Amino acid sequence: MYLYSLTLQKATGIICAINGNFSGGKSQEIVVARGKVLDLLRPDENGKLQSLLSVEIFGAIRSLAQFRLTGAQKDYIVVGSDSGRIVILEYNKEKNTFEKIHQETFGKSGCRRIVPGQYLAVDPKGRAVMIGACEKQKLVYVLNRDTSARLTISSPLEAHKSHTIVYSICGVDCGFDNPIFAAIELDYSEADQDPTGQAANEAQKLLTFYELDLGLNHVSRKWSEQVDNGANLLVTVPGGGDGPSGVLVCAENFVIYKNQGHPDVRAVIPRREDLPAERGVLIVSAAMHKQKTMFFFLLQTEYGDIFRVTLDHDNDRVKELKIKYFDTIPVTSSLCVLKSGFLFAASEFGNHALYQFQAIGDDPDVEASSATLMETEEGFQPVFFQPRKLKNLVRIDQVESLMSMMDMKVSNLFEEETPQIFTLCGRGPRSSLRILRPGLAISEMAVSQLPGVPSAVWTVKKNVNDEFDAYIVVSFANATLVLSIGETVEEVSDSGFLDTTPSLSVSLIGDDSLMQVHPSGIRHIREDGRINEWRTPGKRTIVKVGSNRLQVVIALSGGELIYFEVDMTGQLMEVEKHEMSGDVACLDIAPVPEGRQRSRFLAVGSYDNTIRILSLDPDDCMQILSLQSVSSPPESLLFLEVQASIGGEDGADHPASLFLNAGLQNGVLFRTVVDMVTGQLSDARSRFLGLRAPKLFSIAVRGRRAMLCLSSRPWLGYIHQGHFLLTPLSYETLEFAASFSSDQCAEGVVAVAGDALRVFTIERLGESFNETAIPLRYTPRKFVLHPKRKLLVTIESDQGAFTAEEREAAKKESFEAAGMGENGNANQIENGDDEDNSDPLSDEQYGYPKAESGKWVSCIRVLDPRTAQTTCLLELQDNEAAFSMCTVNFHDKEYGTLLAVGTAKGLQFWPKRSFEAGFIHIYRFKEDGKVLELLHKTQVEGVPLALCQFQGRLLAGIGPILRLYDLGKRRLLRKCENKLFPNSITSIHTYRDRIFVGDMQESFHYCKYRRDENQLYIFADDTVPRWLTAAHHIDFDTMAGTDKFGNVFFVRLPQDVSDEIEEDPTGGKIKWEQGKLNGAPNKVEEIVQFHVGDVVSCLYKATLIPGGGECILYGTVMGSLGAFLPFASRDDVDFFSHLEMHMRQEHPPLCGRDHMAYRSSYFPVKDVIDGDLCEQFPTLPMDMQRKIADELDRTPGEILKKLEEIRNKII
Amino acid sequence: MSVFGGDSWGREAQHRKRRVDDLLIENVEASLYKKLPSGKFACLVCPNNPVLDTATTLSTHVNGARHRSAELKHRERKLAREEEVNRRLAFSDSVSINSASSASIKPRKTSNKPLIERTRKATSEVFSGEFIRKEVKSETVNPIKIEEKHDTVVVEVQPLDYRERNERELKFTEAGWKRDGHGRWFKDENVEFDSDEEDPNIVLNDSV
Repeated sequence: MYLYSLTLQKATGIICAINGNFSGGKSQEIVVARGKVLDLLRPDENGKLQSLLSVEIFGAIRSLAQFRLTGAQKDYIVVGSDSGRIVILEYNKEKNTFEKIHQETFGKSGCRRIVPGQYLAVDPKGRAVMIGACEKQKLVYVLNRDTSARLTISSPLEAHKSHTIVYSICGVDCGFDNPIFAAIELDYSEADQDPTGQAANEAQKLLTFYELDLGLNHVSRKWSEQVDNGANLLVTVPGGGDGPSGVLVCAENFVIYKNQGHPDVRAVIPRREDLPAERGVLIVSAAMHKQKTMFFFLLQTEYGDIFRVTLDHDNDRVKELKIKYFDTIPVTSSLCVLKSGFLFAASEFGNHALYQFQAIGDDPDVEASSATLMETEEGFQPVFFQPRKLKNLVRIDQVESLMSMMDMKVSNLFEEETPQIFTLCGRGPRSSLRILRPGLAISEMAVSQLPGVPSAVWTVKKNVNDEFDAYIVVSFANATLVLSIGETVEEVSDSGFLDTTPSLSVSLIGDDSLMQVHPSGIRHIREDGRINEWRTPGKRTIVKVGSNRLQVVIALSGGELIYFEVDMTGQLMEVEKHEMSGDVACLDIAPVPEGRQRSRFLAVGSYDNTIRILSLDPDDCMQILSLQSVSSPPESLLFLEVQASIGGEDGADHPASLFLNAGLQNGVLFRTVVDMVTGQLSDARSRFLGLRAPKLFSIAVRGRRAMLCLSSRPWLGYIHQGHFLLTPLSYETLEFAASFSSDQCAEGVVAVAGDALRVFTIERLGESFNETAIPLRYTPRKFVLHPKRKLLVTIESDQGAFTAEEREAAKKESFEAAGMGENGNANQIENGDDEDNSDPLSDEQYGYPKAESGKWVSCIRVLDPRTAQTTCLLELQDNEAAFSMCTVNFHDKEYGTLLAVGTAKGLQFWPKRSFEAGFIHIYRFKEDGKVLELLHKTQVEGVPLALCQFQGRLLAGIGPILRLYDLGKRRLLRKCENKLFPNSITSIHTYRDRIFVGDMQESFHYCKYRRDENQLYIFADDTVPRWLTAAHHIDFDTMAGTDKFGNVFFVRLPQDVSDEIEEDPTGGKIKWEQGKLNGAPNKVEEIVQFHVGDVVSCLYKATLIPGGGECILYGTVMGSLGAFLPFASRDDVDFFSHLEMHMRQEHPPLCGRDHMAYRSSYFPVKDVIDGDLCEQFPTLPMDMQRKIADELDRTPGEILKKLEEIRNKII
Repeated sequence: MSVFGGDSWGREAQHRKRRVDDLLIENVEASLYKKLPSGKFACLVCPNNPVLDTATTLSTHVNGARHRSAELKHRERKLAREEEVNRRLAFSDSVSINSASSASIKPRKTSNKPLIERTRKATSEVFSGEFIRKEVKSETVNPIKIEEKHDTVVVEVQPLDYRERNERELKFTEAGWKRDGHGRWFKDENVEFDSDEEDPNIVLNDSV
């Protein structure tokens, strides 16, 4: 089996983010690392974040930093990855690519503890960069420029210190003195030697300054001092005239200012009032904002509260450190303060957000200061605050993130054309169920009812140079309605259009006149109001029209074509007539090429299943240039011109080309390339769009021409980052559409469907899914579909949180307390605003109050995804948490489908995994499955991590025991068990009498249940100890699994072994056969192996589009979705493996990781072709594309077609 | 002739040597020895499988008395095995002729899996002939009559069909019942039972 791996949705979570001027000039950009993807984002003028570029680097990005050479206008990006190399990138605005400026190898590849890459720090003046490992190694590179102002990089200087763990590093701003880097370090050499553990208890963190002597070209330890043992983060303090220099050390509960030769200045981080006393407060992300006259820091705690830290200083002496409550937003992995007044918050889990600053926190608020720090016998006096509504920030945009996808299933619950993907995402209060549908999201601007059922709609401008459309013209069966677009859209009668007849086409003709084509003639409305009418000869009527700005062709009934041109005076003149052999089905004229008088091509579709290209040149007018036969009569034709591009914003290197698209009556979209000179058609592609014949319309998307195809659902064909993408829109069936542009909506679409006029815009181009989110209460763990009733059942659980009732009570109490404070003590209420009472703080933003770590909350929820209604929610009591679930039908028992839920009570992971008890709850569905009722619960001796129905009974994986249960009156009855599993069972799949058991650490075990002996036998297992995270059953002998290191693998039982197991008549063999070293007697074979590079948390087998191939879908923790499609032919395998090979050679990954080594990070890659690499083919320069294509004996066009074809099989 | 040049005599000499080796080995039957990846030879006939360094030593070994006697024994054993195989083949053919009435079932040859072969044979017998069915019928045809003396009412208990009974028994084993040496059912102590569970001793005996 050979598989094609393709990422359907790139990772949406963010590991780290930096901001700067990467394109030069004034604009502010953000570079984010999403695991293996590097993205460039920019907030546009409307405050929406736009993704400019997204590059898969085939390696793990561990850290990012930006720097700027003194006096330069542009920032460079430094990337620390698992490639064992430091890479410096520059963003090229013209080509819209990241360019590798330098790549220096320093160590082994992979994320190892002593290979640098985990930490990056740059000198604030851009003279040096330090790259550090978790342990021991730190390297310093000197950055400079050569005579032609190009960036140079030195050979590395070592700043190693063995037996030292590094927690954080940063550059120290010391102006133009020698660059200094600060690091929080812990020396463990003594602790390692001392068996009593005393030294380990006394180990002390140190803050160390490393100085790079630019004169001697040497790094030395300059200064080292003990620092609080809770220190975890360093923040650079401006220096060199702008500030006092030094660093902020963020420690548990404190922020400390430190500098060489300066006494510590320490302030306590304010605590939330409801925080349990044993919990500390840690800073998780920090950002510094510097202006000419002032600077401040924003530090975010692990609970989401942001504090503004200011330093009161007198030159180099810091007098006071103040920590003032700023605002509360969800916990971030990185904060970026943009110079343009935005704050980008890259959330740890859930959607990312862009905020705008309303104020910079100058108003009085709760403040802790070094000056008022009180030390008592119990330690430092804490400062308390209450979170309040956003005061200084306002959220203006958010970017969806599926980060920490926990479970996924694909099913067509809504009975739509394509199945929906249900995913469980997020964590704690920000968790959600997200329903993904393949297609682009649209936002509906307006829907208005019309007096009848319209048949068509057009928009026209009054003048070519107008920016916006002037009229919307709607045609009915026997009338035409004209609406003018202004502040509002209203009907007008003075437009000059004939309103007593239906229209066939309405357009702008010439520079400033309008044309209306109706069945009995052409009405030409001049700018000054004069109207020219052209009437059809005899009783013939016009049936089809094709026009561009200067040319019009009409088709009369009977098959006569009449060709008109706009002459110099703006008159419409008849030029030529042509008799076709039969009726014309559709026609279209290519747009007028720039700088030309007319377009050369007219396409005519006939009912004899042909499309002809006719010439419109005066020399050979109406001559047939080429002919194409198609599978079914064409319904609609559209020429789409693609302008030449050399890259730039949102494009790759490609020459200008003209495509002819045809919607055929059998629902197929047919697409060919038209030779710009001869009119010959070549490179035909077709794709089935839906059950109705596609109607094609030209619209504008991001300033380029795009194609809207209306079949049984709308599709959009557009070019995105060099690829032509044909993507469905998530919208209802439309009849007719036109582009729409007004001052409220620059690039919209107006469409008719039923008796309504709809105006909408298309959003988030380039994405393949759009999502609907339903919020959940706690971190979702698993869900099951109840297919008959179309319901979802989820289990959710969180550690260290309060139950809903407790939270409600606490909230009430705190509000009461705040109210009392208002009456009694006036200065306590500064953040207990009155509005808070009416508008309680949303948990999604502020997080749940924290409880002791041993406390669990959990719930079981029945959800109707169609209405997003929760029909039943059971909170588990008594510190129980749910971990596994399945639906089960017990044989000949009265209840029908039951729900089994595995729970654990008082589960703890630290210092040792322990629990008080495990249970299996059995629930029955009531009221059409909407409500759950507990039947009974059975105590078991382990945590049931896996449950599955098997032959009318329940199989449970309880720790290392696989057990078969039957339903009893008051409890589950243990019927049979096997205790021979190595660690802990995490997944169970069954097929006939085979049971596929996944062990937490030891991969799959194949078992068989023998009825006649009532025994479970393990007959095969894997040779590789895999740490399973997800599993899916493929066929009788095959299982697909993923491990926690990011590998996907398929294992298969060899055919002869499978036969022997199935054909063992006495059963003696399976019973007595023994393996070696306590293993099973037979071993499964690994047939597929691939390193995804991200922890895969769920697998599912599904077909995403009708007529597509069945593929294995996977979802990852970082929130990406991918698919594995099995190849159908050997030829395809050969082609793609060669393409992959060439791509590996000619286009090595951006950050220096070898592609082959990356995909083989843990096990050699086997029988999987990396589609993500193959799809980078169009981003190569043209000559390189041609070279690779030559090697493969094809043209670049054919390769693109192949890539498109295989993508279309998946989605 | 230069050793360092291209026309070294060494290669030719090596070639000659290999040719001699080939000739020496030619008269030894290929199934009696094995060429190891190291270039040495292992004799497959002698019970201790001696490893011989070169073709020359192999040929002398083959001519040795010990090898000859081993070879003789080996031949005998081979013959005996062949005879046995033929005998069994003949037997299996006769079975397949018997079952040839149903043409669709062809016994496939799986010589390396005797167990599967036997299963196939058994199933082909079941499918083609009335081999087992006859026994079953003899049971089912004659209903057992239990005459109860006081009422002199003849209760006719229809005994279960063989398959049905088998299925019932399986259900009980599945549920955790076991059988002792006398065919009586008892509960497996590792298995849990519901309070009102059916007792196979009663259910099955009633129906017999």
